Amino acid sequence: MSSAPSKLYADDVSLVVVLLDVNPFFWAAGASGGNHPAATLPFSKFLKHVIPFLNSLLLLNQLNRVVLIATGTNSCGYIYDSGSSGSEGNNRVPKVYSEILRNLAEFVENDRKVGRGPERVASSVPSLLSGSLSLALCYIQRVFRSGPIHPQPRILCLQASPDGPEQYVAVMNAIFSAQRSMVPIDSCVVGVYHSAFLQQASYITGGVYLKLPQLDGLCQYLLAIFASGLQSRSFLQLPKPAGVDFRASCFCHKKTIDMGYVCSVCLSIFCKHHRRCSTCG
Amino acid sequence: MPQVRIVARNFMDMVAALPSAKLDKLYESSFICEALLRSLPPLAKKYTLQMLFIESPVTAKSMEEWVLPDGFSKHRVAIDRLLQLRIFLELSDRKKETIYLINPKFQSSMQKYLLHGGTLPRESMPLGATVRLLTLEDLEAYAQKQWECFLLQLINSAQAERLTNFSPSMIKVFQRGLLSSRENEVPRLTENGFQFLLMDTNAQLWYIIREYITTSEDRGVDSSDLISFLLELSFHSLAEAYNLNTLDDVQINVIKDLADLGLVKLQQGRKESWFIPTKLASNLAVSLSDSSSHKQGFVVVETNFRIYAYSSSKLHSEILRLFSRIEYLLPNLIVGAITKESLYTAFENGITAEQIISFLQQNAHARVAERIPTVPENVTDQIRLWETDRNRVEMIPSHLYEDFPSKDVFEAACEFAREVGGLLWEDAVKMQLIVRGELHQQMRDFLRRLK
Repeated sequence: MSSAPSKLYADDVSLVVVLLDVNPFFWAAGASGGNHPAATLPFSKFLKHVIPFLNSLLLLNQLNRVVLIATGTNSCGYIYDSGSSGSEGNNRVPKVYSEILRNLAEFVENDRKVGRGPERVASSVPSLLSGSLSLALCYIQRVFRSGPIHPQPRILCLQASPDGPEQYVAVMNAIFSAQRSMVPIDSCVVGVYHSAFLQQASYITGGVYLKLPQLDGLCQYLLAIFASGLQSRSFLQLPKPAGVDFRASCFCHKKTIDMGYVCSVCLSIFCKHHRRCSTCG
Repeated sequence: MPQVRIVARNFMDMVAALPSAKLDKLYESSFICEALLRSLPPLAKKYTLQMLFIESPVTAKSMEEWVLPDGFSKHRVAIDRLLQLRIFLELSDRKKETIYLINPKFQSSMQKYLLHGGTLPRESMPLGATVRLLTLEDLEAYAQKQWECFLLQLINSAQAERLTNFSPSMIKVFQRGLLSSRENEVPRLTENGFQFLLMDTNAQLWYIIREYITTSEDRGVDSSDLISFLLELSFHSLAEAYNLNTLDDVQINVIKDLADLGLVKLQQGRKESWFIPTKLASNLAVSLSDSSSHKQGFVVVETNFRIYAYSSSKLHSEILRLFSRIEYLLPNLIVGAITKESLYTAFENGITAEQIISFLQQNAHARVAERIPTVPENVTDQIRLWETDRNRVEMIPSHLYEDFPSKDVFEAACEFAREVGGLLWEDAVKMQLIVRGELHQQMRDFLRRLK
């Protein structure tokens, strides 16, 4: 389960799992223009920033691996894995680019089909962060068990849409299991608001949390901050969290609350006083 | 194995020593940039990435703010390396402050690479009736055989079954430093030679390649061309065929030499001929950055000092013979024993205990490699003890002082010798003392002053 230091490579060989937020509600909001981040940075441009970053990760070391997971509103899926596709040597980059685009289109289509039922028209529908975090952790566990020696894993969340308080328990569970297997979660928020989930995730797992002040320099931020390996991070001046939003969601209405009631037996959180705990009875 | 890094770093030093015009020319190829980037220390890699899309120079001061105080020495190492390789250029601005600018050639080829990908100067040949590809295993076996054949010829030309096409003078060049060849004497392996044999394949390869490049000027080949061709070669896809007519004359000569080393396999069809890069070639650039190769080990060491080596390679048995007594040679198994005598001969040849132990650990059979320790502790301890056995007597040049006129003078002399840290032995009854030789002058001055 945990990784012994002897199992690691001597150099900074890393496995980076990038969680890409493809929430259509967020990215479409930019079409109307205005101050919305997606207006200055439409999804196509966003990808143009992200893909050179993925390439540069692969460039740093022959053994580096990059996995791209898309976070949709209803489902999550693997988009690209540098280890599985035989992407070596010749014109790697265009091939990767087209592969990512094709898989993304496929994914978005599927995601839409899965989400049938009453369409929510609200402007902010959260992405399924808990799902993609779990996918990433499962992938990392598989790599841990794959052989005697494995690269050092880390997760990078490129989050655009706001948090979904109803995912509170699932996300926290994912964060704690990442902490247990010593996987740092880096978060780069491109959206409008700070993300309390990701603030906590990076804080607990020892990753870097950054809300971009300027979106057009995304690639530069990614290269300067999130490309550095875990070993060199100990020497680097990295952005420090200004404050972490530790607020929890209540289990009964899935609302983010400042103050609430906690079951003394199972530590479930409620916004109102209950006679009996609905979790443990 | 640490040696790979040293050898590889030497190679990079060689690149760094190229004149700047040649270096700038090298940076026109994105593959060379990539290989170089991978060889850099982690911090230097990060700096390069960070500077890649910055057009204007950055002051040294603001760059120092990127690191924490305890990482400062690493920062210096990284910057020095980048300056040596001319990836960063050092300038000074109007205020006489040092500023760094990323080499524009390097920057543009790297940017192009990240955004559009690189293209090799040649395409792999389409699979057809003429080109029949070997399986990966066959190719690996071929490379290994070729390489071992070369090594055997290098250390013992009588043992080699088949000679490579290298000219005797070329072999001489490779042997220089590994073998001592006095007149009228069978060449013997030198200390370096033994250490060379115990290195892993990548390190050996780099050693040979380095010698090959340093002598290239004598053969009328430009060393930067050779370096760029070699680095480029390592980015060709494994086990795919490339047409020989895409190479120029110099490169064809080089590729023939490389085929002898097992880096490529040459094949000839009816009309065309082509080369197929092997794993050795593609490892060339990898081993620059990462030393952990995943070689299948073959040696099992037991607590009773017996060695079982599951190998049919002659080279392996020659290497084992360096420090153990070979008892049986079976078709796929070499059985030997580590004895005091065999180790003493090894030590006399300049092999250290640590090298032997690390060789045994590196090449441990998969079944014992998982165990901790891989080599039984009593064996490793005994190897180290036998080595220290040879260093039981330590010689220190020294001076004996006697016939002191009085007890006081003797004691003052003792005190002085103790103070300067040179007192080795004293006998208060006979009034004799022995002091380290290098302190004789001080002792003499001191005794003169007492008189």
